[in-house]
Amino acid sequence: MSSRRSRSRQSGSSRITEEQISELVSKLQDLLPEARLQSNARVPSARVLQETCNYIRSLHQEVDDLSVRLSELLETSDMSSAQVAIIRSLLM
Amino acid sequence: MASTSSSTTPAAAEVEERGRKRKRADGAGSTAAGGAEAQPSKWRTRREHEIYSSKLLEAIRLVRAGSSSSSGSGATRGRAVREAADRALAVAARGRTHWSRAILASRRRRFQAVRRARLRAPATPPSRHNAAASAAATGQGSSAPPLAEKARMLGWLVPGCRRLSFPTLLEETTDYIEALQMQVRTMAALAEALSAISANSSSGGAGSSNSSAA
Repeated sequence: MSSRRSRSRQSGSSRITEEQISELVSKLQDLLPEARLQSNARVPSARVLQETCNYIRSLHQEVDDLSVRLSELLETSDMSSAQVAIIRSLLM
Repeated sequence: MASTSSSTTPAAAEVEERGRKRKRADGAGSTAAGGAEAQPSKWRTRREHEIYSSKLLEAIRLVRAGSSSSSGSGATRGRAVREAADRALAVAARGRTHWSRAILASRRRRFQAVRRARLRAPATPPSRHNAAASAAATGQGSSAPPLAEKARMLGWLVPGCRRLSFPTLLEETTDYIEALQMQVRTMAALAEALSAISANSSSGGAGSSNSSAA
């Protein structure tokens, strides 16, 4: 453990330890929906980052599709105050 | 420990998850991540969902009011909705994260950029190369080169996170992903609610059954 600390100190002013990073990476890994990657084995960090990039891109795409759908729905509905109240009660 | 919930399975059963995650966030928030973040899973609580739903509704109404006069294609209106949703999400983050501040700042910047579009070339492609070159020069001592590449890609995807250090970038990414998940959940629920309402109002007295909710 001391070797890790000394190595990070030698590399510069950044006191980032490997443990810290691997802990953050494992937290990130838990968020990913991929069932085969879920904290079963020690997944290499590069793989986790790659899957994270793909996942963020897919989430962006999903938000875009939902935005288009919402904009179409907004065209058809007139959003009266009664409708807004109904929507609120449906969402909450 | 009294509270169970060993593994976090997102979107498993939202009703139980809401109450459980809230208890986890309140009780076990200090044990996770050394107490640096107040509530690691604040994006999963029901309260955030409700707050974001209201904001989203208001923002979308504003978008609709603004675009009712001007006609645009489906893509432009969709983009306006997307930007309103992103801004509402950033506001819900209460300015504690880099990405939320970047989203709110970029909107103002885009207005000015549209005005100065003739004078200045778009700065995004050059700044990417600059960021990559400068980061390679400073050298992230704690991550190997292939990891740095992936971290670079991640920095591009998360708004406003291109020049962060590696651990900060990971934290921002975690928060951003959870926020995006909540955004998707809320927008999907809103779309379902809207489609149910419009189906109800369109089929006034006819015999068409409203089975639009898939």
